[in-house]
Amino acid sequence: MSTLAISAYTASSAAGVGKAAVARALHEGRSGLTPNDLDWAPLPCWIGHIRSLNGDQEVEIPQSLREFDCRNNRLALLALEQDGFVTAVGRARERFGSARVGVFIGTSTSGILSTEIAYQHRDAQSGRLPTDYRYETTHNLDATTEFVRKVLGLTGPAMTISTACSSSAKVFCLAERFIRLGLIDAAVVGGVDSLCHTTLYGFNSLQLVSPDVCRPFDIARRGLSIGEAAGFALLEKSSSSASLQLQGYGETSDAHHMSTPHPEGEGAQRAMLDALDRAGLTPKDIDYLNLHGTATLANDRAEGRAVHAVFGGTVACSSTKGFTGHTLGAAGITEAAIALLCMEHDFIPGCPTIQNVDPETHCNIVLKGRSEQVGRVMSNSFGFGGSNCALLFGKVA
Amino acid sequence: MRISIDAVGVLAPGLPDWETAKTVLAERSGYIAAPLEAPQPACLAAAERRRSSPTVRLAIAVVEQALQQTALAPPDMAMVFSSYEAAGLITHQLCEVLAGSREVSPTQFHNSVHNAPSGYYSIAMNARRAGSSVCRGEWSFAAGLLNAVVQVVAENAPVLYVCYDSPLPSPMCEVMPVLESTAIALVLTPAGGPSSLATWDVAIAPCKGAVAWQNWVPFLWYANASARGFAALELLANPGCRAAALPLSPELNLEVKRC
Repeated sequence: MSTLAISAYTASSAAGVGKAAVARALHEGRSGLTPNDLDWAPLPCWIGHIRSLNGDQEVEIPQSLREFDCRNNRLALLALEQDGFVTAVGRARERFGSARVGVFIGTSTSGILSTEIAYQHRDAQSGRLPTDYRYETTHNLDATTEFVRKVLGLTGPAMTISTACSSSAKVFCLAERFIRLGLIDAAVVGGVDSLCHTTLYGFNSLQLVSPDVCRPFDIARRGLSIGEAAGFALLEKSSSSASLQLQGYGETSDAHHMSTPHPEGEGAQRAMLDALDRAGLTPKDIDYLNLHGTATLANDRAEGRAVHAVFGGTVACSSTKGFTGHTLGAAGITEAAIALLCMEHDFIPGCPTIQNVDPETHCNIVLKGRSEQVGRVMSNSFGFGGSNCALLFGKVA
Repeated sequence: MRISIDAVGVLAPGLPDWETAKTVLAERSGYIAAPLEAPQPACLAAAERRRSSPTVRLAIAVVEQALQQTALAPPDMAMVFSSYEAAGLITHQLCEVLAGSREVSPTQFHNSVHNAPSGYYSIAMNARRAGSSVCRGEWSFAAGLLNAVVQVVAENAPVLYVCYDSPLPSPMCEVMPVLESTAIALVLTPAGGPSSLATWDVAIAPCKGAVAWQNWVPFLWYANASARGFAALELLANPGCRAAALPLSPELNLEVKRC
């Protein structure tokens, strides 16, 4: 594969809006999760809620794009507006031309909340949806991709990847192939998923939502906490000035079960090995592994076994879902951004919600964040349908 | 980008298989509308057939047609699945429950993910390579094909591509008018495969105005992103047809030329 430069990136979640706020939470070991106080989804659980999304004044969809107005696109815009990301993309657009910059976005539920609300307000007689309901520009999985493309003024190839919780990791792989073949010179990749009834009540129906805050890899874990998040990265052909790079990736399928991972993490192992292979690296070259670590028993046990099979028990690992919650289709980009922050800050984050590590976990789980040289990070993302993706990022001095 | 086509599957009302579709595309016979029998994929066990959604069964059944024509087995191929709205019926059922009792069924929830068809397929066929599920609204056929072609060329390995639309119930069909099922599967290989049906050059090109539908395509299918794929299949069936334009975005087409 070709090494890609990451020339700009940004991320927003319950842990913080923008890179500096997320980095602060990681350094302070401060979880962004809170007891669920959503009056529209009163489930006894914890959530990763971006509160600034709730007021109209905080995020304003431009008048020309009003038809895209929904929680998911507001979240996308909030994230785009952080860290000078729009300006950085503008420079790439000037340099390469708008048709030479691709847009690849991952999501699991897009703006489905708009449809859920519309179904609460169907006409009692005809069953019709409200006249102001818009499917195409809010709920369709591509709605946020099209919105982002319009906000950034890009006309290159675009598409949405929706492979549940690996969605916004897989967009990095897609972008690498497009750039390697010379179809584009740069790509905006990212992921956006916002709180909605479908995922809260859906994961609850699978008995995977914890009544307690999520505690990945803790002996007392009881399931996941759902969060919302958005993030983006600008990828370009590697240049000598670039310091952060995408160096490898692996994508595999479990072929095991729709909603449970392979017990030995067989597909996860192949994804991690493929990422190392593409980068021409060995397990000992990795300084930190950001686990998928959802805090469901099945995920944590399978991933722990897979990591042990590939790395042994030494590589420093943590799941940052205790900071952000499980942000589903946005988990890939959220944790890719955390991987990049770790390299920029030479810092390994801990697990703010863990009390006692499950003794069955044969991995080196970092409980308390610490400063340390971090030159290479792997980030795991696994999804329903057995969709696995491992990304490998590196830093050059 | 140069790739070869190894096998094709087609499912649509009046087009139950590739042989029938070929005669329509070659203009040897006119299109005759006829109901499509509910697809019953052979690879799904009875329990999985019951648990899966009609969209899952449509996507897997059209893939099974293509698999019959190729020596490649499912574990040999990466997978790209693409759909405008893969979860429509399930989303409707979920949103009805969520507007009422909120007692969601776990099966319904895992069926609601866009990658449910690729997940069921991968499990049934032990297909363990990379699997992607694409959506690009009305441009989903070309976007998914582009993703698959890029993967064939970049990885020098075969890719199974399938694009499908299945009908939405009321009231969803009033905002997203997919009224009939249409699905196309293609087995794509690096150029020059020994058993290939054809070799194509595929490129991204600026779009010069709206792309017209083929004359025979029923008006009822104009909301089906997968039905855009019939323009590409015409290259395989009709010797007079050498190039096709598939809408990729408001500004771009995917141009497919027969070599």
